[in-house]
Amino acid sequence: MVKAGMNIRLLIALLLMATTSFAAADEERDATQIVRDAVNHWRGLSSYTEMTMVIHRPDWERSMTMQAWTKGDEQSLVRVMEPKKDRGNGTLTDENSMWTFSPKINRVIKVPSSMMGQSWMGSDFSNKDVARADDIIDQYDHTIESVETIDDMAVYTIKSIPHEEAAVVWGSEVLTIRDDHVVLEHAFYDQDGELVKTLKSFEIGEMGGRTIAMRQRMIKTDDPDEWTEIAVNTVEYELDLKDSLFTLSNLRNPRN
Amino acid sequence: MHMFFVLSRLAWRYLWRNHRRTIVMLSAIAIGAWAMIFMTALTRGMVDQMIEDGVSVIPGHVLIHDPDYLDDPSVNNRVALNDAELDERFGDAGFVSWASRVRVPAIVTSERESRGVTLLGIDPQAERGFSFVDYDDVDGRFLEGPDDKGVVLGAKLADTLETRVGKRVVLMSQDPDNEIADRGFRVVGLFHAEMDATEESYAFVGKRTAQDMLRIGNSVSEVVFVGDDYRDVEPIYEKVAALVDDSVRVSRWTEVDTYLGTMMGMMDGFMLIWVIVIFLALSFGLVNTLVMAVFERIREIGLMLALGMKPSMILGQILIESMMLLAVGLLIGDVLAWATIKPLEGGIDISIVAEGMEMFGASSTLYPSFNIDDVILANVVVMILGFLASLSPAWRASRYEPVEAITKV
Repeated sequence: MVKAGMNIRLLIALLLMATTSFAAADEERDATQIVRDAVNHWRGLSSYTEMTMVIHRPDWERSMTMQAWTKGDEQSLVRVMEPKKDRGNGTLTDENSMWTFSPKINRVIKVPSSMMGQSWMGSDFSNKDVARADDIIDQYDHTIESVETIDDMAVYTIKSIPHEEAAVVWGSEVLTIRDDHVVLEHAFYDQDGELVKTLKSFEIGEMGGRTIAMRQRMIKTDDPDEWTEIAVNTVEYELDLKDSLFTLSNLRNPRN
Repeated sequence: MHMFFVLSRLAWRYLWRNHRRTIVMLSAIAIGAWAMIFMTALTRGMVDQMIEDGVSVIPGHVLIHDPDYLDDPSVNNRVALNDAELDERFGDAGFVSWASRVRVPAIVTSERESRGVTLLGIDPQAERGFSFVDYDDVDGRFLEGPDDKGVVLGAKLADTLETRVGKRVVLMSQDPDNEIADRGFRVVGLFHAEMDATEESYAFVGKRTAQDMLRIGNSVSEVVFVGDDYRDVEPIYEKVAALVDDSVRVSRWTEVDTYLGTMMGMMDGFMLIWVIVIFLALSFGLVNTLVMAVFERIREIGLMLALGMKPSMILGQILIESMMLLAVGLLIGDVLAWATIKPLEGGIDISIVAEGMEMFGASSTLYPSFNIDDVILANVVVMILGFLASLSPAWRASRYEPVEAITKV
């Protein structure tokens, strides 16, 4: 009976844009599935987000407001709205490639592989973090380290170790994922097991019909004074986004 | 001939009549010759070292590339022949050492740093012996074959990246479609090189592994051939050029590293200029000495002329005198130079200024090189120029009117 109920639920879920499986099957889900669900939960099949990114340094701080669209695993478009002088700067990713556009020079530039490791828009995220956010699913071996119950909700601590030949420098990444697919913490450890940086979630709440982390902060362990925070202002999921949104011409000439 | 001996004896005696002046002049010539040879040996030693280091890093005395590779060393400019065709063409052609390699710019990233490097995909067995890396002087191990999945970095680069043997790094480059080609590699060894710059700029991986990562099938960026002497590459060049067609470009190392190539040519020119500059300073002393020697004995010259000596003999005698002076001076200078260079051949430690030296590609130990060609050049040039400089006083001596000369007070 339990199984039949689960199947019906799954069916409904699939009909409702298939945001992958739900909490019902929690015991059986393996670590990889938990991670995949979390990634899918965060970006959905498609999404539109307005967010504010704050880059903090000991002696200065700046914030940018941005719009972002995502579709599937591969496509995303980010465009800066504020501050005024950066307005129109955009980043487009498709598969593993990345392009940037700056209205000041009126040029679309393909980010070369040599620059993928560099900072994205001056933040603590690298271009690679932005372009290849979902490598975490299939380039790692995931194991559940522990399961706790916090506020009546199961919280999984998952250790993800990159495959030997994966293009990942970390020794391991530890994800703390709540049963409702919210990532509470994403810690990056070097190969000696030392913590290098942590992406922490604050203010978990309901938005766009989902429970998501509304504020996330990337903090370097060595320099706690340097961090980048992304706060989600509005988010909508499962929109019908046209493929033409994720094209170079749209990056250059916004038509949305 | 008999006359020559008589004149030589006369010249020799005149030389030692005023021995103080002769000794002063001799020491001037000797020190000049010593300076020429010693300085040249130091410079030559430094330049040789630079070229040898440079050539060993290229490496290869003759290289095959795509015609556009030297202008744009990207993954798109690959040699038109693939591995199998290369083997077929050069495998049995009797080359002592040759190897094909993948060579592209790449980025190496650790947890904390990233750096630009030259990614070398090599077959370690083929390059044993002429690689600038001493396989036995590697922390950890060197690559074991073209399929090795590890990477060997320079020790200095590993420091910068805060990584070490056993840890993983990511190498990132581009494939022929301009897509990112990247892969994780475990650091299996750290190599050591004479210069930090070398240790910082190369990452060695297996050739097949590199080809897989860059998605270039079994093609390569370059083919290198090594002979016995980097100064004499023409025979290999011609042999290689005869085996390939226009689809590839065959170059000598002097064309690949034009800086080093020019350096080698410049060294010989520099040597000649240096010798001439020192000689110019010396020549004033030499001419002055001879003029004095002539002036002192105008009356004797007049007497000899009056007794029937031909003016050409006077000319000859003065010239012989000057040549003797130079020959003895040079001999002392040569011996002096040899005696000072020999003990230093083990190398002069100039690590105090190593950083500055590195900027133009020289290492921190200077090995003076006593090059016999340079010594011969210095001696011959001094003799010839000395001969020319002595012509004028000798000519004047031979033109005296006997009566005037005898009666000169």
